[in-house]
Amino acid sequence: MVMDKTVKIRTENLCFSYNGRAILCNSSMDFADGEITAIVGPSGSGKSTFLLTLNRLWEAIPRCTLQGAVEMRFNGRYHDIYGRDYPVTRLRRQVGMVFQVPNPLPMSIYKNVAFPLQLKGGVPKENMRSRVEECLRQVRLWDEVQDRLHASALDLSGGQQQRLCIARALILRPEVLLLDEPTSALDHAAAKAIERLLLELKRSCTILLVSHYLDQVSRIADSVVELHNGRLVSKAEYD
Amino acid sequence: MNRTTEKGVEILFFCSAFISALLTLALFGFMLMLGLPLFAEGRFFSILTQPWAPHLGQFGIHPMIAGTLAISLLSMVFAFPLSLGCAILITVTSKGWVSRLLRKAVEMMTGIPTVIYGFVGIFLLVPLVREFFDAGSGMCVLTASLMLTLLVSPTMILFFCDSFERVPVAYGTAVLAVGGSEMQRFLHVTLPHSWPGILIGFTLSLGRALGDTLIALMIAGNAVQAPGSLLDSARTLTAHIALVFAADFESLEFKAIFACGIVLYLLTTLLVMAVRLLSGRKERWTR
Amino acid sequence: MRVLEQAVVHFSRLCGIILLGAVLTVIGYLFVHGWSSLGLSLIFGATPPLDALLMKRHVFNGLFPAVAGTLSLVALAICWAVPMGMAAGIYLAEYAGPKIKAILNLFFDIMAGLPSIVVGLFGFAVAVFLNRRFSGAIHPCLLISSMALAFLVLPYITRTTQMALEGLPLSARMTALSLGASRLQNIVRVLVPQSLSGIVSGIILAIGRCAEDTAVIMLTGVVASTGVPRSLLSHYEALPFYIYYISAQYTNSEELASGYGAAIILLCICLVLFLLAFAIRKRISYHALYRA
Repeated sequence: MVMDKTVKIRTENLCFSYNGRAILCNSSMDFADGEITAIVGPSGSGKSTFLLTLNRLWEAIPRCTLQGAVEMRFNGRYHDIYGRDYPVTRLRRQVGMVFQVPNPLPMSIYKNVAFPLQLKGGVPKENMRSRVEECLRQVRLWDEVQDRLHASALDLSGGQQQRLCIARALILRPEVLLLDEPTSALDHAAAKAIERLLLELKRSCTILLVSHYLDQVSRIADSVVELHNGRLVSKAEYD
Repeated sequence: MNRTTEKGVEILFFCSAFISALLTLALFGFMLMLGLPLFAEGRFFSILTQPWAPHLGQFGIHPMIAGTLAISLLSMVFAFPLSLGCAILITVTSKGWVSRLLRKAVEMMTGIPTVIYGFVGIFLLVPLVREFFDAGSGMCVLTASLMLTLLVSPTMILFFCDSFERVPVAYGTAVLAVGGSEMQRFLHVTLPHSWPGILIGFTLSLGRALGDTLIALMIAGNAVQAPGSLLDSARTLTAHIALVFAADFESLEFKAIFACGIVLYLLTTLLVMAVRLLSGRKERWTR
Repeated sequence: MRVLEQAVVHFSRLCGIILLGAVLTVIGYLFVHGWSSLGLSLIFGATPPLDALLMKRHVFNGLFPAVAGTLSLVALAICWAVPMGMAAGIYLAEYAGPKIKAILNLFFDIMAGLPSIVVGLFGFAVAVFLNRRFSGAIHPCLLISSMALAFLVLPYITRTTQMALEGLPLSARMTALSLGASRLQNIVRVLVPQSLSGIVSGIILAIGRCAEDTAVIMLTGVVASTGVPRSLLSHYEALPFYIYYISAQYTNSEELASGYGAAIILLCICLVLFLLAFAIRKRISYHALYRA
């Protein structure tokens, strides 16, 4: 139970099943604002699935069902993110996601990062340019790509692609960032770069990080939550 | 893009799908409606069994049904082993660039128009059959079936090749690991496992053979009698429609072509259902 | 057992030889007899080509009207079929629930299995219906034919669109959604562009199907000789019908030779379209693999 920090995300009795098989049961947990919370657990325990319940992305997968409630704190109020009047597109702009395998769209580097702004609409071209630069600087990619912004994103290395995906997720300034094993497909140096980035980001974002690298967890996580038999259990805070 | 435009576009997609499906039903409905005078007094079943003799008031399409079945089934008798053999050639017997080249050639064959087969059939195959058998005009069931074989084989071959390739590789490696040959792997593992796919390919090609018009129209002779032998001239339902189309619209003769249309519609629908059933069985098999 | 295996090997080789031999004979025969008739006069007759193309003069004994008829027919048919087919395919792949999908798939399968002459009959029936209900001026014509042809190839376009979209991996679907895209935005901006190669090659194959079809047009307005199509509601000529007509009604060796020439032209058009469809699909998948 988190005492002296604001609760950003609260799940209550969350149950999730895929194809009739239960993956999460009666999971209730609070996640504190401005922290990096690591989610650990045995392989196949449902850690990635849990992340999908937080931005409702599981709804794109057939044969899934969910029960229970998830609340998030935006603008000083708690919102039921599964509520009828809460548009799922708005939720996904406030909750960014980075996947295990980098998934740049088959477009140029610039277009990839600017894409979420285009989807949202109503952002003038000049603003877009400056925001793209801001995000690419944030992920330390700007110096490497500034002279080839219109080259295909698919030509970047694995580590660069993952940083691109993080920049893309950040451009809408989400208040929550979900990362599903973001460094497992990367080499050591690229992984360290991402860890440094996350430590900087936690000032402005609540970060949930699924990881099975326990040394990574001990390096950057403020709290640890374990997914065990479909339930979320909080462990003691790491120093 | 605001919500109302989005909703509008989604409704458009929905309507396209449903209107297309409805048209399929409407087709059947139109044919029933236009053929109605012929079906009065429950004559539909007599139409299926009577001969065609308009001047005697008989509008039976039985000879044409026999013709369709004779030509299609005979062409399947030729095409099935031929296609199976070619599929084996492409996937097992030949390797590397030869296999790829053969497959490319078969893929290109699927693009050859039927009217070309009919055209060459008239000027090349018909005289050949006439000379070889020394009987009839050469325009007969046999000639039409031979050309039809060439028409349906390429698609059937590609379908068989696909079925063979879908058998999981893991099943077959066990045979190779104990020193078996590729052909043994094929005969003992691949072939038994691809029977559902083979049957589906056969059924689909049968449907194609049943539905072809030009080849039968141009080289089967079009005599209005149920064929008694391979060298008899025959007429298919499809050719009958094309030929009677020239008659006076108001006559009962003309209405008979809608009866042909209905029979063809039902036959092909039956085959589609059969394919569905077989596909369902295939899914259960591979699980 | 070895005997069986050897027999199968020999059998497969025999089948290959028979099939290739037969098809090469067909194509070869066509070229041997039609080669001499190929040339501008085959298409334009005695009329100067430029005048014919600019519609200043009629072409009387050339294939130009038939070629023009086929081209207009195919263009119109594709205009009807592509939007409707793609929309239906998108609906089936992205929106339909499992039960509705199964039912609609059945209907499209039936549509795909229909003999072309039955589709022609439908076109004719519609023309009759419109003639009685609305205006006696409506009769089988270019417009009706193009709509009937569109119905013929609709299931091809729908199926290729549906399969191309369903073939995309889950990660491709989820990417844009995770960035706040609505379902429609995801489809239009990400999914369809990524399935474009499959969709386009399906369209090209549909074009080939429209160009070669004879049965549908026979019942919906094609005639042996009427010149270049004057309007949507007029009769027209078409290449495949010309070939059929000549084979039955040729009066001298020149007409027969023009039939061979027309057959060669039609064959080449269809084969070129086929190669194009394949090249497009291959080029785009090569790109994707190369960049990954």
